[in-house]
Amino acid sequence: MANVLIVDDSRTSRKILRGILEENGHVIVDEAVNGQEGVQKFQACKPDVVTMDITMPVLDGMEALKMIKALKPEAKVIMVTAAGQKNKMIDCIKMGADDFLTKPFDKAEIATVVAKMSN
Amino acid sequence: MFDQIFGNYLVYAGRISKEQLTEVIEYEKTVRVKLGLIAVAEKLMTSAQADEVNQLQAIMDKRFGDIAVEKGYLTEEQVSQLLKKQGNIYMVFVQTLIDKGFMTLDQVDAALNAYQEEQGFTHSDMDDLVSGDVDRTVKLFLPANEELNDRLCGIAVRTLLRIIDSSAYVSKAYFVDELSADNFAMQALEGDHKIISGFAGTKDSLLAIAIPFAEEEFERVDLDALDAVGEFTNCINGLFATELSGEGIDIDMVPPEFYENPVVLKGKQFCVFPITIKDSVINFILSVGADISIN
Repeated sequence: MANVLIVDDSRTSRKILRGILEENGHVIVDEAVNGQEGVQKFQACKPDVVTMDITMPVLDGMEALKMIKALKPEAKVIMVTAAGQKNKMIDCIKMGADDFLTKPFDKAEIATVVAKMSN
Repeated sequence: MFDQIFGNYLVYAGRISKEQLTEVIEYEKTVRVKLGLIAVAEKLMTSAQADEVNQLQAIMDKRFGDIAVEKGYLTEEQVSQLLKKQGNIYMVFVQTLIDKGFMTLDQVDAALNAYQEEQGFTHSDMDDLVSGDVDRTVKLFLPANEELNDRLCGIAVRTLLRIIDSSAYVSKAYFVDELSADNFAMQALEGDHKIISGFAGTKDSLLAIAIPFAEEEFERVDLDALDAVGEFTNCINGLFATELSGEGIDIDMVPPEFYENPVVLKGKQFCVFPITIKDSVINFILSVGADISIN
């Protein structure tokens, strides 16, 4: 079980992700609607795992990833991407992303990836 | 999709009632089961494999049979045998109309001819329509010679059929410079191509996408419902970007935008592709290479 911070500008995605994670026994410690808020809440609630959408207004997920890794290199950050963001995925790996989830969400994939991070 | 397109034409033309069409389509579901179910019943796949392929269909713009072959669960030969067992939708639809006494074969034939003439379809177009193949059917309703436009519209319809409602159907797409809508969710794509795509609705029609996608009972098209439509648009665009990236074309998605109140979309010959989902008509909007201003 992990304490998870969900960072996504889409309410729909946050709700779906929260539902699947809670179903798998994880605790959602907070939600953020853009990268800037995500970094702030990461510092405030110190989650075990962060799920970070890539495409967001104000501060996108890649910038937020960079900032979180600078604050805490061992932070577990799972990037959430729409299919078709392969180039960005490569950049995220270079920045230290720990894993990826693809939209639309696949329940089994989410359970596996988050469980792996929390172990 | 043939049954919905031709069936709704029959209702529009006064050949059958809406209730009779519903009865025919409900009956079809009992005699024409999904490919995955047949594969499991025939012991060619396990139910876990069928579930896995169904899940993958949500994130891949591919047919059940194609994914099952790629995964090594079925051979191409087995897929064609399963498709034969499933039956052609045209045959099932016409046979049901006749068996239920709603129309005679001659009346169906005459209605098909009238429909062909009204739509301006060739014999080859009609072959595509009755084939039951979604790709061949969708192409008939798209404007020709607009490659990126047609590809993205095709992905939008296939994704909608897979994720939102398998009984949705399309009407002929058209180009306009201006369109009024009660609400609109859109996403811009940047990079090697500048594209704007989204869904425009009247009254609460966009709930037909928002409710099944978010699995939430929205009462009206508010910003939360539009967020769900925007996320669905994002999924479509992601699949499109994946397809193009395989050809070395790079496009990127920016965050979706929502318009909760009536708007006028103004652009340069953008495409409007009407899609009917459970009696609600929504418009898939697509502008390739030109901006759309929203007032």
